[in-house]
Amino acid sequence: MIWDLDNTLLAGVYLEDSRPPAEQQLTGVLDELSRRGILQAIASKNPPDAADYATDLLRHEFAAVRCDWSAKSAAISSILAELGLGPQEAAFVDDDALERAEVSFTLPDVLVLEPRDMPDAVGWPQFSPPVITAEGRRRGELYRQRRARHEQAKAFGGSTAEFLRYSRTAVRIASAQAGDLARLHELSLRTHQFNSSGVEVTTEGFAALLRAPDQQVITVRLSDKFGDDGMVGGCVLATARWRMPLLMMSCRALGRGVIDALLIWACRKAADAGATQLVVPCVINSRNVPLRIALTSAGFRANGDSGGPADGDSGDSADTATPRTADYARPLDKPLPELPEWVTW
Amino acid sequence: MGDVVTTAQVAGQIREILTELTGRLIPPDLPPDTPLLRDGVGLDSLGATLLLTAVRDRLGVDVADEDLNLDSLASIGTLAAFVADRLTNHQSR
Repeated sequence: MIWDLDNTLLAGVYLEDSRPPAEQQLTGVLDELSRRGILQAIASKNPPDAADYATDLLRHEFAAVRCDWSAKSAAISSILAELGLGPQEAAFVDDDALERAEVSFTLPDVLVLEPRDMPDAVGWPQFSPPVITAEGRRRGELYRQRRARHEQAKAFGGSTAEFLRYSRTAVRIASAQAGDLARLHELSLRTHQFNSSGVEVTTEGFAALLRAPDQQVITVRLSDKFGDDGMVGGCVLATARWRMPLLMMSCRALGRGVIDALLIWACRKAADAGATQLVVPCVINSRNVPLRIALTSAGFRANGDSGGPADGDSGDSADTATPRTADYARPLDKPLPELPEWVTW
Repeated sequence: MGDVVTTAQVAGQIREILTELTGRLIPPDLPPDTPLLRDGVGLDSLGATLLLTAVRDRLGVDVADEDLNLDSLASIGTLAAFVADRLTNHQSR
């Protein structure tokens, strides 16, 4: 949720009114959305000190702040890049119709709102995540750790691998337990950039998979010296045919070697069991480009569309209920990379 | 319809988009084989998503949909060639 300041979160204009008060109703909305684990950010055409003023006034730590004179669409793009989110996951509220129009035009996927929409919006499904786990509630804090990590990484001279070692990265891969089901469900809802199926799996759905003899539900946890991210991802392995029907990872784990580690781990497991290849069926959409980049850099290749579940008709990809998928396969005949020493199983 | 769209024209538009996305000027003399990801232009995979979304919205080619293995993301040149080819040979809109 990205907020404008003047005449939106502030009841007045920062540069004209001396120390304008907080807008009470919208501050209430801000607090409620934060409680639901929704990240809050500021995009305001103001000097940088306006951000400190708003942070103190609202007693709220924002996950990202842009106070400058760039276009609002540019500020929003840069906030989304910093937080690792897509425009489809963002909403923007501004009292100025011109600013709203500029954002709608440049970033058509962002939900653009007027301040007067906000009290209602609290009740909308987009702002009402059905499950909120401990990880979900801590999102704001986790993103602040992420900022600290980014700053150190930028100043760090060595390679990414060296930085992961220096920051005492620890990835723990494990079989899912009953207590993991709620978080797995939440990940299936909240992950988009790194989600191979794009389908919500309920807690009961994961419980059933846990009981299935030829399926393994795997969890991935991540921590480093900046903080403990908890469970950041997981996958389902169908061990009869060595397919991975679901692979999902939080954007928090981006650039920290986690998805690569999980893929190497799964390939080695499949190879040890005598499989000749591991296959990850993956939906083809514009949101999961990061996942597909991760798959191809881990040696997976798509062998053409597998189409919908039924036929391989050549018809144009008309928007049907069944999303297009492709099988990404990695042959296991050549030696596989070693797991980094900071990954435990 | 049927106009030839050159790779160089598309590369210019891609550099403009990259300048907006990265906040750094991507100069015209940057070699076309400069990698887009990591050590080249320095996009991470989320930056690549934003780039492909902008290319789709402004140039009308949905690379994420058409290039399953995303090989066109190798460099500015490969992406420009992919888009220019689609614009020249498949002008459906």
